[in-house]
Amino acid sequence: MEGSRPLELILARNLLASLSTPSFLVDAAGEIAFYNESAGRLLGRRYEDSGPLPAAEWTTTFGPFDDDGQPIPFDQLDLTQALRGNRPAHDRFCVRSLEGPMRWIEASALPIVGAGGYHGALVVFWPVDEDGER
Amino acid sequence: MRLRVWGARGSIPAPGPETTRYGGNTSCVQVELSDGSTLVLDAGTGIRPLGLALPRDDRPLHILLTHLHLDHIQGLMFFAPMFRPGAEIVIYGPCDPGCPESSLRSRIGRYLSAPLAPVEIRELPCDVSFQEAETTEWEIGPARIRAASVTHRGPTLGYRISDGGRSIAYIPDHEPGLGTPLQELEDEWMSGLELARGADLLLHDAQYTDEEYPRHLGWGHSPMADALTFARRAAVGSLVGFHHDPMHSDDQLDAMAAAGGAAWVARGGEPGGFALAGEGMAIDLAAGAANGARPSLRPAPAAAPDALLFDGGL
Repeated sequence: MEGSRPLELILARNLLASLSTPSFLVDAAGEIAFYNESAGRLLGRRYEDSGPLPAAEWTTTFGPFDDDGQPIPFDQLDLTQALRGNRPAHDRFCVRSLEGPMRWIEASALPIVGAGGYHGALVVFWPVDEDGER
Repeated sequence: MRLRVWGARGSIPAPGPETTRYGGNTSCVQVELSDGSTLVLDAGTGIRPLGLALPRDDRPLHILLTHLHLDHIQGLMFFAPMFRPGAEIVIYGPCDPGCPESSLRSRIGRYLSAPLAPVEIRELPCDVSFQEAETTEWEIGPARIRAASVTHRGPTLGYRISDGGRSIAYIPDHEPGLGTPLQELEDEWMSGLELARGADLLLHDAQYTDEEYPRHLGWGHSPMADALTFARRAAVGSLVGFHHDPMHSDDQLDAMAAAGGAAWVARGGEPGGFALAGEGMAIDLAAGAANGARPSLRPAPAAAPDALLFDGGL
């Protein structure tokens, strides 16, 4: 039906809204459909203030960025490719908070697959230092 | 369309002197379509008296199951048309995304088979078939049926039935506010909202009082406040609270009905547009169809057994 998110994403949002681990939801089109309070604190902008974000806007605003500080297109991320192949993925990125400097994070992502096929992905992430330590 | 409630209790039948007015049978609602044919919503224990009361009819009987929890299928074994040679019965229900190869027939067959039942599906003399309900639209007689997955424990559907310019939404087991304050959710994130939007009548889970709900978080059912919030957001004409807790006596349900009715009006609903379902409750959606009038939510009759028998009308 038009105007309604798949139930699998709705349930995932309910879970994320209850987590203190920074996390976000990506829909099947690559839009950042939702991110939770913890993610909002880490990135410097609350979901309530931004709403859903197209992938291009997300990557230019928050990253991830390559070693030269250039945003990496969403479609070129290994993580994106893995998710679209219905495989979980884990990676380390450099992202930018609106309120501070660049920082490293590690992210784990799970594809969300239901009766209607691939609906998107659930991504949890946490800050690390350049060596990957928390 | 005309509706009659044959069971509105949730979880488990709750017969006894404290539940005579609202009834103790589990979920079952009869819908008479504009061509006189019958749809049945869920097959809780309320389907047993419905089956005894239904007149013989050569037309197929369609049963729409929201899900396969026992309180929604327990009456199937005792539905008289199932034992009538020549009766044609079509049962719809959700698919199981976790096990797509497990058919609706095989899943219902776990109940309709030994050691839980004395007969097997293949032994039934009627012509019964099973169809996984697509989460889309299809037609049954003059009605358009729409199904959508909703938030509950396990694969669960809500239904919308449209016929003759009127529409009913039936979402008896639903916890749309799980994990998130419902009033803060955007429309696109609210489970079941599109299914119910603008319906003339919504039958919706209202199992718990707001005080009880925190002890039952995640059980798949709604507190009264969420049922009201959901209904007002969906801009339905009327709301009938459904799936009563088996621990709630008639007196407790009366109190919930009074509080719910006041809250409905306080939230901008039309006076008289809220009620709790009770066995025998009849709602005629055809009356006033021309001007879109809100249906009258007649309360359940006062427990006279004869009042529960189908008399050719609802």
